[in-house]
Amino acid sequence: MKSMHLDQSHIKILTAQGCVSHNWNNVVFLDITDISRFRNVTFIGEVKVGDNRGTISVDGVECNCGIYNATIAQCTIGDNVRIANIGSAISNYTIKDNVVIEHVASMTADLNALCGNGVELDVVNEAGGRGTILFNELSAQTAYLQALLKHNSAFTTKLTSLIKKKITDTSTHASIGTHARIVHCGAIKNVTIGAYANIHGAQFLDNGTILSCKEHPTEVGEAVQARSFIITEGAKIDSGAIMDKVFVGQAVKMGKQFSAEDSMFFANCEGFHGEAVSLFAGPYTVTHHKSTLLIAGLFSFYNAGSGTNQSNHMYKLGPVHQGIFERGCKTGSFSYVLLESHIGAFSVVIGKHYTNINTPNLPFSYLHEGEGTSKCIPGMNLFSVGTVRDGEKWPKRDNRKAPVKRDLIIFDVFSPYTVEKMRRGRDGLLSLSESTPKEKAFVIYGGVEINRLLLKKGAKYYSMAIARYLNDKVCERIAEVLKSSGEWTNAMSSLKPVSQLKASNEWTDISGLITPRERLAVLEEKIASDVIKSVDEIIHEFQQMFDMYCADEWQYIYDTYKKEYNIDLASITKAQARTAIDAWQTSATSLHSMILEDSKREFGAFAKIGYGLDRSTDETEKDFIAVRGTSETNSVVQKLVKEVNEIKQRYEQFKNLIQ
Amino acid sequence: MKREEIAERVIKTTARELKLQPSEIKESDQFAMELGADSLKSIELVAAFEEEFDLTVVEEEALKVQSVGSAIDFFDSIINKK
Repeated sequence: MKSMHLDQSHIKILTAQGCVSHNWNNVVFLDITDISRFRNVTFIGEVKVGDNRGTISVDGVECNCGIYNATIAQCTIGDNVRIANIGSAISNYTIKDNVVIEHVASMTADLNALCGNGVELDVVNEAGGRGTILFNELSAQTAYLQALLKHNSAFTTKLTSLIKKKITDTSTHASIGTHARIVHCGAIKNVTIGAYANIHGAQFLDNGTILSCKEHPTEVGEAVQARSFIITEGAKIDSGAIMDKVFVGQAVKMGKQFSAEDSMFFANCEGFHGEAVSLFAGPYTVTHHKSTLLIAGLFSFYNAGSGTNQSNHMYKLGPVHQGIFERGCKTGSFSYVLLESHIGAFSVVIGKHYTNINTPNLPFSYLHEGEGTSKCIPGMNLFSVGTVRDGEKWPKRDNRKAPVKRDLIIFDVFSPYTVEKMRRGRDGLLSLSESTPKEKAFVIYGGVEINRLLLKKGAKYYSMAIARYLNDKVCERIAEVLKSSGEWTNAMSSLKPVSQLKASNEWTDISGLITPRERLAVLEEKIASDVIKSVDEIIHEFQQMFDMYCADEWQYIYDTYKKEYNIDLASITKAQARTAIDAWQTSATSLHSMILEDSKREFGAFAKIGYGLDRSTDETEKDFIAVRGTSETNSVVQKLVKEVNEIKQRYEQFKNLIQ
Repeated sequence: MKREEIAERVIKTTARELKLQPSEIKESDQFAMELGADSLKSIELVAAFEEEFDLTVVEEEALKVQSVGSAIDFFDSIINKK
């Protein structure tokens, strides 16, 4: 088959079928193109059409390919494409094979349209200053570089120029990828739509890119209004979502009238009903409820209760506030946090807080409100069954199916990042405990009130978790090296870390990617000094950090073990190894038992309130069991029970191994 | 230490922490259901008992204690090594 210009016989047939063109010489078909499959088509400018002899499914009905009731201006149209009932026109698009465009008000593009690339978002701080540029390759990590490292102007300038270069180098004509479906939509302007995307019922889409792939098609559904955006593979946006200057990461779900402005959502985020403004939603940020406003903050692995809100009431210099909620935080229903605040990882916020909270070194804490005061129970979330459940569910709920996962995620709840914060928290609490007289009921730390009695208690919880983590990893590694090299001294000498970090205790969380701070500093320096010359190289560097995590984590453990127990693991003795497994068993059993007790409370007397309505005690019990089950039948509780036995088994196995 | 003294100190500590009068507290009272000690308050209560009796408890065992009477028995067993 080959391209052909139309002759008079073709033009006569087309004209009879209601088709017009100012210049038929600009209309090019293939020699196999079925001329009968053009009805009421106005051709403007150069238009190329491929093989249209096939059929294609539209809303479950097999329809002929071809062009019907449409104005087509300056377009290249591939094979097996059906275009029908276009309100005004399709202009300046390259439409690839096997595409359906039907009942769309308009689809127009400017010749130099960047389709959302280059738009700058004001994330984290509503008043600006943390401008982050949208581009097709954006990830949680490249966004973090842009938004959070503004202190380094040389770096920021270079990074911005690399991103702008990437945009310029990769910008192409607006296009529709193969197998895309665009049906029943309003106006679409300057929007590139990727392969296999399913766009149906969107109200308007303006200045954006919808990246999609066969492995994980992207869906934009009913009544969506989106302006200045990039949506990536496997995202599903529907049911009246409103977006203005937004990045949507892989496998993100958004809908039910959720509205977002100047916001970015990375892998597996979910946004329904509520509102987001200047939000940096790292991986797994979830908000499902009406009246929930997430504003001007950095979040990840976060769950928002209904009515959650943050703000700066004073509003003296405008909305200049920003908040940091480190990974794993939860905010309870109608919780309020005054910004600026910095909440430690895996903390739970309950109630309204009118003080600026600064507790990054008190991870796993409960921040609650009592008598109008912000109070903190350090480390209490360490033995919440919810923390265990969250840690297990995130990797299982990684819904990304695209071949390339943009965001690099270390899922570990206990990592050098959180463990080092606990070490600092423990030391800080013990120091406060020693310096606080018994007459004082509480101390103020990081803006919150801590009951004096809980200073030691919190330190104890942290100590237990630190001991569990370090001894767990050490025993695991000893078992590994013993299996591969049975002789004790040689095996232990292989425990020396391969990483050569200068400060193995300084870590950072690059929105999902946990890495030593010095690796990030090296990347910063490489970008600032032109050693790195492209965005692709930056992405490669992040991948290397990700790949080095286990080795880096081991160096942290190795060095920290020496600090905590004064033991050099490369020359650890059998007796010390036995002490390590004892310490692990003690801390693991203790924390596990506390978690188990916490889970059983979910089946206690309070949990049964409201069950068996107007019925006897016996019927209340039966109603509760019918709906909620019992701790004996609950899968989470039973898993915890099973794990208690696994701790015992592992303990015995390790003891036998080092005999 | 006699059980009576332990009981008196448990009740006194409970009253102080939960802002109640000692006379309002009975051994049969459940900390959660009758005295309003939620899970957050339970942690503070355990810490307060530890300070009162100048000892450290096994956390997971302490959190199993549901009533004032069982708290008295719990500390009686530790203090008097029963």
